[in-house]
Amino acid sequence: MAKILIVDDEEHIRFLYSEELTDEGYEVVTADSGFQLLERIAAEKPDLVILDIKMVDYNGLDLLQDIRNKYYDLPVILCTAYDTFKEDMKSIAADFYVIKSFDLTELKNKIKMALETSVPQKA
Amino acid sequence: MVQDYLEENPSNINEAEMVVAIPSYREAKLIGYPTTQAALGLKRYFAERKCVLINCDNNSDDGTKEAFFAADTEGVPRIYLSTPAGIRGKGNNFHNLFHKVLELGAKAVVVVDADLKSITPQWIKHLGEPLFNEFGYVAPLYVRHKYDGTITNSIAYPLTRALYGRRVRQPIGGDFGFSGEMARVFLASPTWTEAVRNFGIDIWMTTIAMNNNVPICQAYMGRPKIHKPKDPGADLGPMFSQVVGTIFDLMTQTTGYWMRVKWSRPTSIYGFGLGEVEMPPPVKVSEDKLAANFREGFQQWQGLWAQILPEDLNKKIGEIGGLPPDQFDFPTQLWAKTLYEFAVAYKEQTVDRQQLLVSLIPLYFGKTLSYVRKTARMSVQQAEEFIENECMVFEETKPYLLERWGA
Repeated sequence: MAKILIVDDEEHIRFLYSEELTDEGYEVVTADSGFQLLERIAAEKPDLVILDIKMVDYNGLDLLQDIRNKYYDLPVILCTAYDTFKEDMKSIAADFYVIKSFDLTELKNKIKMALETSVPQKA
Repeated sequence: MVQDYLEENPSNINEAEMVVAIPSYREAKLIGYPTTQAALGLKRYFAERKCVLINCDNNSDDGTKEAFFAADTEGVPRIYLSTPAGIRGKGNNFHNLFHKVLELGAKAVVVVDADLKSITPQWIKHLGEPLFNEFGYVAPLYVRHKYDGTITNSIAYPLTRALYGRRVRQPIGGDFGFSGEMARVFLASPTWTEAVRNFGIDIWMTTIAMNNNVPICQAYMGRPKIHKPKDPGADLGPMFSQVVGTIFDLMTQTTGYWMRVKWSRPTSIYGFGLGEVEMPPPVKVSEDKLAANFREGFQQWQGLWAQILPEDLNKKIGEIGGLPPDQFDFPTQLWAKTLYEFAVAYKEQTVDRQQLLVSLIPLYFGKTLSYVRKTARMSVQQAEEFIENECMVFEETKPYLLERWGA
């Protein structure tokens, strides 16, 4: 069972995603901000991170850089309400992005693809 | 190791930690600027390390060497290497460079093009620093005009990404960083072909880095790549055959690796925080030339295509060839399958390999024409998203390649 860490400062999003992804058979843990996110990842060892881009105190794209620098191959899916973030080239360090919606079909598809991805690991 | 280069080393440099290399052929008018910028980068960001600038040249007769030595490098020493008279090829310049890097014992090597007009000292920092921080290979990441780098956009990037599973946006960008250890790997590789000794060298290095599971990052350069532009409908020459031939050769040599790859992963990005993104200057494309080249090729190569492509694909190519000019469209999935089929035919040598590569060029022109039309009203960023979607089609179509390859 894959473990997913949801990082989002909106409680209803964390609740919705948690419920739906748990129903899909994933183990879900959540964080309500980017505070000590790398430490949280080290402790939880998730197989995938769903990361909100715009949180009150944190920029998800900066957090993405931190994650990618420390965890080269940890899948990260960016979540956002707007697609203007794509103008920032930092966003290409994400595996996928999804626009926030109450229909989680796309998010579930991207999670499946990200977890299926098979690339030999770095030396 | 056999030394097959001519050398001028006026400062008698015999060791260096960091090398910045500038490969060239007849770049006397332009090489001075990147040489000076590279020297500034070394002085500013690597002052505590022993550094050297190397011009790896093809024995240019236009004064390239003199221009290199005349440039102001603020005391950074220089070495000039050249292939013997009559020996050309960018890859041959790199071969000489790899020898020299090992001889000098360098830990990090940055390579920049000799015709760069937009290079800043920070490019040296961004391509070089990751090599002192666990990365073995650094590819450039810059904003390019949507019509600049069309071989990259329609072949090198989507194919490399789908095959090897690493998203390196500029696999043949021309500006790279690699470790001294990678120079040893490159030099020891048994896969040096004539194409690799020419313009195939860039995609060859990137692919070898991927296949060796070397940690790769992309360095954000801040400024767009501005160099001598090429109209994709006009200037192509042997570069196309050398780049695509190298991709197909490597597919044959690395089958066991890429068959295990499913979907793709991003890489680390290095070097943000450079302020506002500068947009690249426009690149003119002649749609008429692209259309004419496609039509001519359609007449010339239909017979060969019928030997390379299965009947259904060949029929679809025939259908797009018959479309009225204003309705011309080359669907991405058809393009992906076409490239996969050409790769299979290249491996199986069902037709002459050189003819196969040459016959692919008009199809590439057709695909480029289709891309130009679809992205005509798009911003650079929207065109980037369009290319990303095309890459997904290549990845989704990969099972077709596995089946056709004989998995």
